[in-house]
Amino acid sequence: MKKIMAKYTFLWPLLGSVILWIGISAVSGKFHVGQVFTSAKLCSFALLLALGQMIVVTSGEGAIDLSQQYILTLAAYISCDLMQYHVVLGVAAAVAAGALCGFVNGLINIYLKVPAMITTLATGYVIFTIVLVLAPGMKTLPDAGLVKFINWNAGGFSMLTILCLFAAAALALLLYRTKYGKQLHAVGQKRLAARYAGIPVNKVVILAFTLGGALCGLSGTLCGAFNGGAFQDMGATYFLPSIAAAFVGGTAASGGKSNVAGVCLGALMMYLLTTFLNAASLSAGMQRFIQGAVLVLILVGSVSGGAKKK
Amino acid sequence: MKVKENQTPYIELCAIDKCFGITKALQNINLKIYAGEVIGLVGPNGAGKSTLMKVLTGVLSPTAGTIRVNGADMKRYTAKESKEAGIACAYQDLSLCTNLSVYENFAMLNVGHGIFTEHGWRKNAKQETRQLMEQYFPENHIDVLKPVEHLTLAERQMVEICKTLMTGNLKVLILDEPTSALSTDKAKQLHRAVKELSEKGAAVIYISHKLDEIRKVSDRIVLMQNGMNTGECDPEEISADELVEMLGGAGGKREKKETSQEGGCEVKTAAAQIKDYTGKGLYNINMHVNCGEIVGISGLAGSGQTQLLNLLFDARKYQGKEKKGVLLNSSVSYVSGDRASEGVFHLWDILDNTVIGNLDQVKNGMFLSRKKSEELAQTWYDKLKFKAEGIHSPIMSLSGGNQQKALISRGIASGAELIILNDPTAGVDIGTKQEIYGLLEEAKQEGKAVILYSTEDAEMEICDRAYIMHEGEITEELKHQEITVANIVKASFKEVKHQQAAEEKKESGLHRMMTSRVLLPIAAMAVMILANVSMNPRILSYMGLRMLVSSAVPLVFAALGQMFIVTAGDVDMGNGYSIALVNVIVGIVMTGNPFFGVIGIVLFISCYALMGALIHIRNIPAIVVTLGAQFVWWGIALILAPSPGGTCPQWLLSFYKFEFPVIPMPVVICILAGTLCWWILFRAKYGMVLRGIGNNAASVERSGWSYLQAKMVNYALSGLMAVLAGMSYTAVCMGADANSSVSYCMLSIATVILGGCEMAGGLVTPAGVVCGGIAMSFITSLLTSFRIDSNYQTAVTGMILVAVLAVRLITHKKEDR
Repeated sequence: MKKIMAKYTFLWPLLGSVILWIGISAVSGKFHVGQVFTSAKLCSFALLLALGQMIVVTSGEGAIDLSQQYILTLAAYISCDLMQYHVVLGVAAAVAAGALCGFVNGLINIYLKVPAMITTLATGYVIFTIVLVLAPGMKTLPDAGLVKFINWNAGGFSMLTILCLFAAAALALLLYRTKYGKQLHAVGQKRLAARYAGIPVNKVVILAFTLGGALCGLSGTLCGAFNGGAFQDMGATYFLPSIAAAFVGGTAASGGKSNVAGVCLGALMMYLLTTFLNAASLSAGMQRFIQGAVLVLILVGSVSGGAKKK
Repeated sequence: MKVKENQTPYIELCAIDKCFGITKALQNINLKIYAGEVIGLVGPNGAGKSTLMKVLTGVLSPTAGTIRVNGADMKRYTAKESKEAGIACAYQDLSLCTNLSVYENFAMLNVGHGIFTEHGWRKNAKQETRQLMEQYFPENHIDVLKPVEHLTLAERQMVEICKTLMTGNLKVLILDEPTSALSTDKAKQLHRAVKELSEKGAAVIYISHKLDEIRKVSDRIVLMQNGMNTGECDPEEISADELVEMLGGAGGKREKKETSQEGGCEVKTAAAQIKDYTGKGLYNINMHVNCGEIVGISGLAGSGQTQLLNLLFDARKYQGKEKKGVLLNSSVSYVSGDRASEGVFHLWDILDNTVIGNLDQVKNGMFLSRKKSEELAQTWYDKLKFKAEGIHSPIMSLSGGNQQKALISRGIASGAELIILNDPTAGVDIGTKQEIYGLLEEAKQEGKAVILYSTEDAEMEICDRAYIMHEGEITEELKHQEITVANIVKASFKEVKHQQAAEEKKESGLHRMMTSRVLLPIAAMAVMILANVSMNPRILSYMGLRMLVSSAVPLVFAALGQMFIVTAGDVDMGNGYSIALVNVIVGIVMTGNPFFGVIGIVLFISCYALMGALIHIRNIPAIVVTLGAQFVWWGIALILAPSPGGTCPQWLLSFYKFEFPVIPMPVVICILAGTLCWWILFRAKYGMVLRGIGNNAASVERSGWSYLQAKMVNYALSGLMAVLAGMSYTAVCMGADANSSVSYCMLSIATVILGGCEMAGGLVTPAGVVCGGIAMSFITSLLTSFRIDSNYQTAVTGMILVAVLAVRLITHKKEDR
């Protein structure tokens, strides 16, 4: 049993999701599949952030992207503003802007040798400033066609969920079946060893940040369309769930190990938790408290198991 | 000293078994250790020597068997009992805290654990350390006040050995590959020290792969193989070759195939060549490597060989083009002997570790082909005769020698025409060594070029040519039969021509000041004060300073709190909200009921200590835990104070507004805070431990201190600082708000960095942090007086952060030369 759990780390968040679903049903008195579908829809944005975080963290050496929430907000503004000319332009520009932010993070991290945590903390605040300065002059309404598209629903599966599944599948292919994926995991385990194995370490890491940024951009675009516009603090709500999802899903904090399926389920679990807390009608303070405590407890219970060994 | 027959052995290991799961690491080991003898322990890698030593030092408990100390059976035998019995081990992987000075590393071992120590222990410790170093390694020129990080590898090894020798009541000394980085004369000094020790009655267990050394130094040689004793012999009656044979090596010298290639192919193409290269510690390097030959690099360890190999490997970025005299004509792969840090990918199996060297050849269109990977790995697996369950065995389940095989197959399977090997046989047993030589020979026959650097001179005999290096220069090129150990040793000590650029680093006062970590924060503070004064001269008055510094105090405490966690090598991402929680406790709970308030504060600090314990015990990254914890702090604060309110308790306010003569109160508080933290970390005895765990926790534990306890103390101190930050924050804003102090998280991290601390390695500077904190908060007031939009202030902080680190990168580069 223990062996199976250790091998398939995604079973942990799956188990958590099931327990929470039962909890929600118990609290609300209704047993309803719809709650899972709704959570799956709502978790899309955090899920994409979490996948981006996973790529960055997998590159090792304590890499982490703390600027994600700000990239998301910036991307939402850009997409909404440019969509007045064309939908595709808006989406493309937002994703590109996200990728650019990630690229800059990677450059600073690698060439100025600033630890990733500090780099992204700093760039995050710079990006936030850009948002604050640009926001007043920007159009914040998303394109009606796009809004309609993402709110389309197929037998409970929201378009958002479908898009996320596509993104996850593409990412799984990239990470586990391509040369880049192998190299990323190698770099994440030990950068020096990767260098001597002939892997272009710098390129791999910068690309990881860029990919992570692009996913934030995509998330921002969808988020803006879903919420009917962009606003200044829109990224903040996804910060904790996305980080939690990334680590609960089986991403090794020390790098070199990722798990796409686990992260997806982790995001779902975090949203079922929110639904559960809302259903139990707790005060804002109590909700925060439980969210934080659950995250810490989950980490204590599942993630470790001899990680971070050097 | 020879052992008398009827003596009782000091330590006796009887029928020791040690199993890890189903694998038997030790089987029926019997070893008697008599006082005053030197035992040479020899055996191939994976023979169980390290495991046996771990049993002896009490790190591992045996599965079966008994341990007797002085004839008495030991029921309980842990690291503590082992230490009491006087057993000490100098570890192969150096176990020093590099951020502590040499004497602090020594003091950690023998200073009492009590809370109070006698006056002047530092002075005594320095004196003792100096004497000890001089006694065992005369003329070592090591400054005991220097942090270990500034020492060379050989110097560190000497310190390590001396540290072990210092163990009180030393009865059994274990030396595990002690001479791997030492030059010949220092090794001789060590051998003399070993002899002295044994004359004093201590036993020495000397583990080495260098057989000549073992024969010279030991009274008897114990052989181990596959976890068993396989014999004993008298070093005077046995030759190195016989030893090799006993260890199951192919034995004898390799038959040299004489120079058939010499006339065979006349046109040899150079795979790589270097002309007149100087730089990176290398001088006037001229060398070339042709296809179809093995070129050896040798000389005393640390003479620039690794730099030379790296130079060639780095040339892959401009293949075919000459740059600074370095020309590489072929593809290249690199095999490192430092498997743990430069070689294996520890999460992977043999397959992935093999194919990672060249993924292009196992691709099928865009994607990697599983089948092709397996085929390639299987080919090499069969060829190298791995001792494992199959290509899907995790690499970490293999012995060192088999891991090395995987690395070599990675290097050769990559298809590169030039293979660089950096000491590939380090810690590899004789059988595997022979196999590795065979592989290199094969690669050579296929027309590949091979460069082999080895610390074992005898290994050079398999090479066609060898370059011998000394102090960054090639002193001799040996060819074919000229390659003998005698010739290599002779060339290794040859005088070098280049001017030894006055390496006497003069630690002048000015130089030390310029490279000091506190320079930047002090300068930043001075600039900020001047800038503010130029905007508004009145702030230099008592009242003006009081007002300005007053708003800096919470940040100073927040940053000092962050600093304690950074000292432990972690980071607190949640101190913004934890300060808010204290703010609420002080402003709302304490004003209502002082008793509950105090309890709340105590609980808060213990929560921080608990957080440290959790992070340590479950081995989870601090960044994620503190991120999660921030929501816990926030949640509690919101429960206590759903909306802003409360007041500052009167006693706190009157303390904060106290009219201290001449110097304004906030300045006094800052100075006191900095001094206190400095005293804790740099003067108090426990400060060594607090800083040590951020650098090398294993070393601290081996010195007998608890890592868990130290980490908890670090976190508790951080919690205490958060409390002080929260209190001063309450005094500044006269109320409580669960949402208002969030920005301290980012600001405190920025301040810690501006203050000259490193995020890892336990390098911190309390004075710098205090100055940095004042400078940081002055920036805000400066921006306000420039009427800069508050939106830009966060961006400015962010930019400063990156700029500071970038500046430091440049200055550090200069320091490293």
